[in-house]
Amino acid sequence: MQQYVLHSLQQLQAHLSQSRQLYQVVDNHGDAYWQHQAQPPFPVLSQQRPLSSAKSFFFAEQETLYVFDGQFFRETIPKPEPFVLFGVQSCDLMAIHYQDIFFEQDPYYQARRQQALLVGVDCVHPCQNGFCNLVDAGPGVRDNTADLILHPLDDDRWLLIVVTEPGRAALQGLALTPATGHAQNLRSDNLTQCEHEFDDHSYILEGIEKLNRDQAPDAFWQQLAIQCIACSGCTTLCPTCSCYGTQNQAVLQDAPDKPPSQARQVRFWDSCLYEGFQREASLHHPAEQAGERVKRFWYHKFSDDFLPEFGRYGCVGCGRCEQTCPGVIGVHSVMKRIEKDA
Amino acid sequence: MHSLTPTAVRLIDFYDDGEHARHFTFRLLNTASQTTEVQGDWMKAKTGQFFMLCLPSVGEAPFTFTQLPDQHGNFRALVRKIGRVTSALFELEAGQILGAKGPYGKGWPMDQVCNKRVLVVGGGCGLAPLVGVVNQLIEQKTYTQLMVVYGARNRQAKMLRPERSDWQRHIPVFNMIENGDTEPGENESGGTPVDILPTVLGQFDESPDVVLLAGPQAMMFAVAKYLVASGVTEQSIYLSIERRMHCGVRTCGHCYLKDKYVCSDGPTFRWDDLKRYIPAGS
Repeated sequence: MQQYVLHSLQQLQAHLSQSRQLYQVVDNHGDAYWQHQAQPPFPVLSQQRPLSSAKSFFFAEQETLYVFDGQFFRETIPKPEPFVLFGVQSCDLMAIHYQDIFFEQDPYYQARRQQALLVGVDCVHPCQNGFCNLVDAGPGVRDNTADLILHPLDDDRWLLIVVTEPGRAALQGLALTPATGHAQNLRSDNLTQCEHEFDDHSYILEGIEKLNRDQAPDAFWQQLAIQCIACSGCTTLCPTCSCYGTQNQAVLQDAPDKPPSQARQVRFWDSCLYEGFQREASLHHPAEQAGERVKRFWYHKFSDDFLPEFGRYGCVGCGRCEQTCPGVIGVHSVMKRIEKDA
Repeated sequence: MHSLTPTAVRLIDFYDDGEHARHFTFRLLNTASQTTEVQGDWMKAKTGQFFMLCLPSVGEAPFTFTQLPDQHGNFRALVRKIGRVTSALFELEAGQILGAKGPYGKGWPMDQVCNKRVLVVGGGCGLAPLVGVVNQLIEQKTYTQLMVVYGARNRQAKMLRPERSDWQRHIPVFNMIENGDTEPGENESGGTPVDILPTVLGQFDESPDVVLLAGPQAMMFAVAKYLVASGVTEQSIYLSIERRMHCGVRTCGHCYLKDKYVCSDGPTFRWDDLKRYIPAGS
């Protein structure tokens, strides 16, 4: 891997934005959000984890899957311009990697994904609720999840690591200074220091073990589910959640008593915690109890059963579920209770 | 890549079969947008697989084949009017253009069914995914022994009457009416499929080699448990499971069974596998 020292992040941002739409996380009244950045001066990289992950850049919150013109069905695969996600943190990059596997055969996801350049950024301090270090998702960006990696050095300098061929190609024309071994060692030291700064979250590992031994009884999940109001905050913010629903809509109806001449199918983010998620037309409901749905959600995040397919758990340790859950059953709360009560 | 776009089909005709149930015949339409790969997939459909029927502006729903696509692209399904999509379907006239996606999922393990002692048990409209198996075995005479048990809740809920009558000319068919309201001359008994199993097993020369089950989950599980207790191996029992299949390609999440998806890992499962995916009492 080629490694360089950047003396100005602006230089890289300006260069990449010449050939791509550039999106970057910016601070906004205490929260951080992804925003399109059209021209210099570009904002400094936020130290905060954005409230929303990069999920919606590839798996759209709502999109049309096909249209019907009265005779034929036509797919509506998006054709986005090339874009760069600048400064994606390691947990969210791992989530994109996870979604890449899940949506490998989805033409709508892949149409967007193939136009994206991912510039990752190492975290040098733990974020609130974050435990990426326990689930192999951070704090350093993993080599297989980004095209380029940034690491803050000192005096506003950055280490720039080229990971992929698209990453290398994106830098062409940019004058870069090769990095020294010192800069690379500094990255290693900073990441080690960051790992030491994490609070003790060992209850999460113990919770995962108990969950996989099925030591949390149904009554435990039922009790937990009393606090779940099925608001879908956790599944919406979770960067690996991917359940969706579809709806068919009339686009053009010539007369009220005639079938519509044009229609479309729209897909939208759904949540396995909604009561109607699995209910069938016959009203048979295989997960009628809220406890079954809550159990399923946590099982999907931490069960060993998914390791063969994804090579990792479905949780990247971002802690957004804890941050957003009004019922206080985010990952820390749930794992503490499994570790203690189950 | 998966295609999430339906291919156009025409509603050819339909006829009633039991209360709120109809057989529909559809024909695949040759269109420029339909690739030869898609056409090939439809012509390779297997009995026990399903397809998504798409009613523009209404919705999509999964149905099993009662007749696989023939050389003209015609295929059939038995549909019970039970929700929004099926209610809208029952309002349509022949000639209407609809959409269809598929075929999806795993069909019955026909390589393990042919030339064996086969027991088929279906409940209500759950007999639909088994129609193709029984027809094929009878037409090709590829069975050692073949018996069908059909269960319906009441007289009105009986379906697939012509098929069952036809089968009866070749093989034993046991029709069970749960509330006991049997019709004279219809070869029916009062009770559930489980009630007749001792008699059925007694008519097999040896224990059945393969058992195929489809219908309400509670019925299938009761039958499977009885058969295992009677000496049939778990590995020889296959069930077709119903779930809210929504996308057909294991991405929407609605039809999950633990880490499996009914749309792609099923809808047919072996009993010893299925027991690991469905919690007791579901």
